[in-house]
Amino acid sequence: MSSRTTASPASAAPPHSLAAACSRLLPVDAESGLFFRLRARIAWALCTTMLSTARLRLSLVVLLSAMFWGSLYGIFVEAFTFLEALHAEVISLLFNAFFSSLMVMLVFSTGILLYGGMYCSPESRLLMTLPAREEAIFSHKFQEAVWFSSWGFILLGSPMLVAYGVVRGSPWTYFALLLPFMMSFVVIPATVGGICCMAMVAWLPKLRLHALSITLGAACVGAIWLAWSTLSSVRADSMSAAWFEQTFSRLAITEQKLFPSWWLSSGLLEAARPGATAHEAWAAFTEALKFLALLVANGMLLQLLAGWLARRAYRLGFSQLAAEVPARRRRRSGWFDEMLVNGGSAASRPLRLLLVKDIRLFRRDISQWSQFLIFFGLLGLYFWNVRSFNYNNAYASMIGFLNLAVVGLILSTFTTRFVFPMISLEGRRFWILGLLPVHRDHIVWSKFLFAFLGGVLPCCGLVLLSDVMLGLPRRTILVHEICCVVLCMGLSGIAVGLGARMPDLREVSPSKISSGFGGTLSLVLSSLFIMAVVVVAALPSHLFLATHALGPSTIRGVLSWLGTGQGLVASLAVVVALGAVATALPMWLGLRAFRRLEP
Amino acid sequence: MIEFDHVTRTYGPKTAVSDLSLAIPRGELFALLGPNGAGKTTTIKMLVGLLQPSRGAVRVSGFDLVKDPRNAHLHIGYVPDEPCLYDKLTGREFLWFIADMFGMPRHLATERIAAEIEHFELGEFADDLSESYSLGMKQRLVFAASLLHAPDVLVLDEPMVGLDPRSVRIVKDLLAARTREGMTVFMSTHTLAMAEEMADRVGIMVRGRLRFLGTVAELREQMAIETTSLEQLYLELTSPQSGRQPGE
Repeated sequence: MSSRTTASPASAAPPHSLAAACSRLLPVDAESGLFFRLRARIAWALCTTMLSTARLRLSLVVLLSAMFWGSLYGIFVEAFTFLEALHAEVISLLFNAFFSSLMVMLVFSTGILLYGGMYCSPESRLLMTLPAREEAIFSHKFQEAVWFSSWGFILLGSPMLVAYGVVRGSPWTYFALLLPFMMSFVVIPATVGGICCMAMVAWLPKLRLHALSITLGAACVGAIWLAWSTLSSVRADSMSAAWFEQTFSRLAITEQKLFPSWWLSSGLLEAARPGATAHEAWAAFTEALKFLALLVANGMLLQLLAGWLARRAYRLGFSQLAAEVPARRRRRSGWFDEMLVNGGSAASRPLRLLLVKDIRLFRRDISQWSQFLIFFGLLGLYFWNVRSFNYNNAYASMIGFLNLAVVGLILSTFTTRFVFPMISLEGRRFWILGLLPVHRDHIVWSKFLFAFLGGVLPCCGLVLLSDVMLGLPRRTILVHEICCVVLCMGLSGIAVGLGARMPDLREVSPSKISSGFGGTLSLVLSSLFIMAVVVVAALPSHLFLATHALGPSTIRGVLSWLGTGQGLVASLAVVVALGAVATALPMWLGLRAFRRLEP
Repeated sequence: MIEFDHVTRTYGPKTAVSDLSLAIPRGELFALLGPNGAGKTTTIKMLVGLLQPSRGAVRVSGFDLVKDPRNAHLHIGYVPDEPCLYDKLTGREFLWFIADMFGMPRHLATERIAAEIEHFELGEFADDLSESYSLGMKQRLVFAASLLHAPDVLVLDEPMVGLDPRSVRIVKDLLAARTREGMTVFMSTHTLAMAEEMADRVGIMVRGRLRFLGTVAELREQMAIETTSLEQLYLELTSPQSGRQPGE
């Protein structure tokens, strides 16, 4: 049968059309204003909600950011004072290296964020069904992406640039120009990222993933090569003028006059130059303004280009992407899963089944294990390179404990981000678990085992690598390994216990769950626990070293006893006790709450 | 009002919609039926501009969805199967955003927002952030938003999901009233009883092709079954074992 109807085709909108009377296409400025008001309303609602429901998190974020900013500022003041005195000529290279690497990162991060925001978000699906201009939607999502991709630059870059101005004794105009310079610079790589994203989605749908993977892979290899070649040259003569020259000659590639990073660094250096006379100061200021104008003009040109591309390519790309059929992904049960399920007593089988389920979910969620791999991989790279520096015993021991703390802190971010929300995420599937012949305690314990076993192997491996590279004695390595196991246990206990005690069964996004009150509390308690363990364990080692270095007469009483072998054993006992409390107390609270939970 | 002109949409080697030609005039309520994977969602996505046809053209009120999507969208109201709202906007703010996006004059927007809030009984929670809404509340708000600018064409994808019986009644009455006033409704649904009760015509899609187009009475007539319900006719027509065509 023919599917064509006998009805006549629709003609243009009738004159009495209700829609024609009620609605009209918005002019460009009205559309921009509408999106601006939308963002302002959302930002206001977000701020008021945070102020009323997440004061702890907000206070912590503000406090930690201020501390971070202040610490960076102090470090940069010291660094610039040193460089100003010894190696003034390298500051230009330093700025160029910093801004050019930042430029590359902004291209990628904004491109990736725009891909998610423009093509995969529910909001973009809504906006695409409204009479909005494609370039207006791009602009709306672009501003969001720029904010998310560049706040780190502001937080990291502003203390550096302020410190430089203070050390250099720059005029007030330098400080006034900082923000315009940073904002106009950020727009350029971010727009390039947006243009690449739209072009790839629209015209390289099949090759998109491959092209992106190859580019990212090449960028990573390049960055690792540069870092490796720089670090491998570090020897005993490090920090000398010759070393600086050798190191920065490798970074000369970043001083290309066609790079926006060069325009930015040159403009800032001109703006920061204190003129001996008013004429010199005015000349430096106008020169800086020329570089600012260059940045602004290029940013605007690229925005025009991106707008034009959005008109041509956005809907096409959106449609291309929506038409892609996700590949069928078949997964078979691996030998490890089989071994875990079948190897053990019948009584513990439910626990093992739950554990295998969580391992499978983790293994199949690329966002989880890729972050795990990146962070622990970078730490591994750093630990592998700590041997390049020559330390005396006291420094090596201190760095060993600091590395232990870093491993713990990285693990705590993972337990907070991925382990804490696990119980909450079970809320949606509670009807499955609730109907199974499994005791509720098993569910909580399986999460604990998953977190502990998943954390302890890589963490102990990393700590061992760090200690071996630092050339620490076996006794210290053993102490670090014990501390590491205790940290993994305690951090798992805090995340799982608090996750069960304060579940958010309505929320489906793990990031939102972990950024709530419970997640923030879990992160704070984890940090305090890490600090306590590391300080308690480090004290005897350092007293022992101090006794040897300064002589027994300088340290007396309890402190002297702490520096002995008995003191070390006692401190380890305290560490284990801390670990037991950090594990048992949250787990007890969590188990009790989870037994009573009514989803 | 709505015209599919030899529309084909492929997903790689798979053809989701094949040579669909269909015209739906003003004031008709059309229900598109079919099993999962039949091509209903693809058809709806092409109708609201989220997908572009591989071949052919889709027009609403004479405006081509690919060549002139903005003008076409002025005439379309869309209620998706999964309502999308801004969590940090209240229901009222969302309605204002939609009204402003359609360029509605201030006085008219004020009037229509108030009317839709009353119509869909949103008043109690219109000033709460929509993150606190249930699925049914969200669906009612999306319905209100889709009707604000008095569209010529209302596109509904599984419209009754999440609605309570009272809301279902409100929506049914509203659809009946608006189609009488001249609005065209294009609805994709699995709720056969609703299609049978409300639709002027039904289309049954199977594997990307329109297997039947006409009234339920015509379907009965063509399949030579006098007394059966639409459900039985539908199952007969879409069964994988049945190669039966209407009229055979």
